[in-house]
Order: sequence, then structure tokens, then C-alpha cells
Amino acid sequence: MEKENILIRLQRIDRRWIYLVLWLVVMIPLIFPFKIQPQPTPSVEKLFNYIDTMPENKALAISVDFTPDTRAELQPMVVALLRHAFATQHRVGILTVQVYGLGLAEEAIRQVTAEFNANANTRADSVIYGEDYVFWGWTTPVLTVMLGMGERITNVFPIDYYGNRTETLPIMQHIKNYDDIGILVTIAASAIPRSWINYAQTQFGVNLSCGITAVSAADFYPYVNSGQFIGMLAGMKGAAEYEQLVRERMVKNGMEWVLRNRGTEAMSSQTAAHLAIMAFIVIGNIAFFATRRKRK
Amino acid sequence: MQRRIPLIIVLLTGIFGAVAFFVPYPAIRNADEIMRNDVQRIITAFSLVLGVGSIVQHHLLKIRRKAQFWPYSYITIVALVITAIIGVFGGIDVTRPGVLPTRVGNFSFHIQTIYSNMMVPLAATMFSLLAFFMSSAAYRAFRARNLEATLLLLAAFILMLGAVPLGRFIHHRLPAFAEWILAVPNTASKRGILFGVELGIFATSLKIILGIERGWLGGGGK
Repeated sequence: MEKENILIRLQRIDRRWIYLVLWLVVMIPLIFPFKIQPQPTPSVEKLFNYIDTMPENKALAISVDFTPDTRAELQPMVVALLRHAFATQHRVGILTVQVYGLGLAEEAIRQVTAEFNANANTRADSVIYGEDYVFWGWTTPVLTVMLGMGERITNVFPIDYYGNRTETLPIMQHIKNYDDIGILVTIAASAIPRSWINYAQTQFGVNLSCGITAVSAADFYPYVNSGQFIGMLAGMKGAAEYEQLVRERMVKNGMEWVLRNRGTEAMSSQTAAHLAIMAFIVIGNIAFFATRRKRK
Repeated sequence: MQRRIPLIIVLLTGIFGAVAFFVPYPAIRNADEIMRNDVQRIITAFSLVLGVGSIVQHHLLKIRRKAQFWPYSYITIVALVITAIIGVFGGIDVTRPGVLPTRVGNFSFHIQTIYSNMMVPLAATMFSLLAFFMSSAAYRAFRARNLEATLLLLAAFILMLGAVPLGRFIHHRLPAFAEWILAVPNTASKRGILFGVELGIFATSLKIILGIERGWLGGGGK
């Protein structure tokens, strides 16, 4: 009788208890993290290796196409990609086709350029705006950006985010259109990566990759398998794996700096939350089947 | 006439847009570039005016009628005006100031400050609520009631375990198996769905261009 009561009570548990358990499960590992070493998956390694071995005259373009709600999951990808590009001396062009992306891109640029410039001893070590990187900003509509960049980037973005005429920036002598871009990585939590394929890749053949939220990863596997995306970063785990590869690369390059890796830091919390949800499913099913058998 | 002119514009621009995608003739290319870089941007600029006008009108009406939650409409309008003024005239941050002074002592309220300290936490808070609803739903609704639900449950379990580093401690091949589920059965079904979706988009686009589908004009097919 008592057993049945417990099972029935488990079935009818107040949802606020579930919320409390989840909150604790997320918060405790954030305050007292346990170390988790993510093992890079093939799709993450593929993107990393591509950028790592890209010719120096080819630029990395990052399209920050997400909104602040998915910042925790996707911002570490932007930061890791910027670090990788600067560590391997590649030029970087940053844009967004989503107006909310402006602030997020600016945040990541500020963070990574400050890291590199604080540790720079010579001019060659530092990263300079207009020479090593450019923030094209945002413009609309999406179709104009994706197709226009294949012809002339300065036509699409005549003014950069900071109000400079892009034509006057030295970096733009080296990045004229997609031909000068080694790979464009779109970081998004929506269907925007598909539009990059439909317009930019189909028409101009630009190499693409994407960083997306874990929940939308399944939608983009067909494009990774077909080779339309060169690898993919899926969710916080993908970000953490990329951070790990970038950290190893930077150490190899003699950049043994102490940097925060937000994706890796959050892995313990995310792991705990996943396990808690699995436990919820198991407990919920045990209670469901046990009470159903009793009823029969 | 009110309906015929928009239909003719859609017919002509629709056909032109499709043709320009396939014809590399310079005159077509140049016209296409003008359409994309100039015409579309002008139309988008107008739609922004329309959007701002619509939201202001909607909230002013709510305030005037004292509709439900009308005091929040004041917040929307005030936030819209202040953010727009700071965004247009206040500069990006302390290092790139605008014509409008946006700094009082050590306190600055540039657009980036507003964005990082208000927009980001508010949006993140809203999104994080999803985790709580998901966990509650997982506990209450994710039941192995029949074969299909059991298969879904098993696949979800394997994927969740494969998505966390703990998966490989349980079995070293578990992450690879999770990856296989995504790469093979998932891709196969997604491709099927995508073909269907794309064909549907194609058919609907054709119907709009040819004026068969007129729902976008408002008022149905009259």
C-alpha cells in the first residue's frame, strides 16, 4: 500500500520539485566544476583541420547569425574560431545577417583581440583592426548579402560596423569576394545556414561550415554528410571540443596563455543536467508502469 | 486595379529573379545586382518604417483603450524610443562615442552597454526557462507507451548519452553509435522531409508568381 502511495505520489509530483532539482544540478557544477575532457568528434576535427591548413592568403569569414538567447551555447564557438584564426595568422572578416548578432560579434571581437594584444610582444603578434580583421557589420536583406558578397564585399558593406569606409581598409585589398575566403562559418540557431548553402554556395561555390545549437544539429547532418558543410560544431559539446583543439594548437605555437574556455567550463553542468533528465525519464517510466500494472 | 498592379509586379519580378539566377548574360546580371543591392534595400527600409509605425500605433491604441496590461505598453514605447536614440546618436561604446553624450562619470549607457547588460540577460533568461519545461515534460510525458514511443525513447537516451563526455566511459563505442544514428537514419529521414518541403516551397512560389495564390494580398482570393 505504502509502495503504491510512493509511486502514485511520484506520478503526481509537483513540478516545482523537478525545477528545483534541475536548478541545483545546473548550479552546483557551475560553482564546483568537475573536470571533463571532451573528445573531439570527426565533424569538429574536420573543420579544425580545414582552417588549420588553409593557405595564409585565404581569410576566415564568421557570420554571427544567432540571437542572445542562445549565447551560452554559441558564443564560445565564435570566440574559439577567432582565436584559431588569429593564432594561425589568417585574416578574419566578421558579419551578421541577424541584427541581434551585432552586439554578440562585438563582444567576441573585443574579448579575443584584447587577449591577443595583451600578450603581444611585437607588431606581428598583435591583431590590428582593418589589417588583420574587419567587422563588416549587418545589412539586409539576407539575399543581398549572400549573393552580393560573391561579387564585391565592399558593395554589400560600403561602411563597416565602426563607420569606416570598407574600401579604405587595407584588409579589403585582400578580401574582395568569396574567392578570397577560405571558409565561411555561420553560427546560428535557425535555418540561416541552409540559406548560405542555397545562395552563397550554389551560386559561388564558397566553402561553408556551421556552428549550431545541439537541438538543431539533426537538421544539418544531411549537409555535413553531403560535404556541403565542411564539418560542424554542434552545441556546447562541439564548442568545447573546438576549444580543446584550439588550446592545443596555441600551446604548440608557444601561446601558453591562461584563457577562459566557456564551452569547456559549462560541460560539467551540461553533463549533470543531461543525466538528471535521463534520471527523470527513468523514474517517470518506472512510476508509470508500476501504477499501470497495479491498476490492471 | 488595386489588385492587378501588385500581381503584375510580382509576376515580373518573380520571373526576373528566377531567370537571373540561371542566365549569366551581363545585362541581366547588372539588372539583378541593381534589384538586389538597391531596390530590395529600399523596400526593406520602408518595411522598417512600417514595422516601427505599426508597433507604436498598436501600443498607443492599447494605452488609449486601457486594454489588458496597458501599462506595459508605456515600457515598450519608452524602451523603443530611448534605444533608438542612443543607437543612432550615442555611438557604439566608450572608445567610439557618438554626438550624444552617453556617459555620466564612470557610468556609460552606450548601445553595447544596453545590449550586453539588458538584452543578453533578458533573452538568456527567457530561453533558459525551456530547460525547466523540458525536464518537467521528460518526467511526465516521455513514456514508453508503445513500440514507436519506446524506439524514440531509446534513440533519445543513446543520443543524450553520446552528447555528454560520460557516454564514452559507459562504452567507448557509444558516442560513435550516437553519431551513426544522426548521420544515417536521421539523415535519410531528413532528406526525405527536405525533398517534400522544397517541392512544396517551389509549388507555392510558382502559385504566388502566377497569381494563383493571392493570400498575401489580404482578403483571400477575391
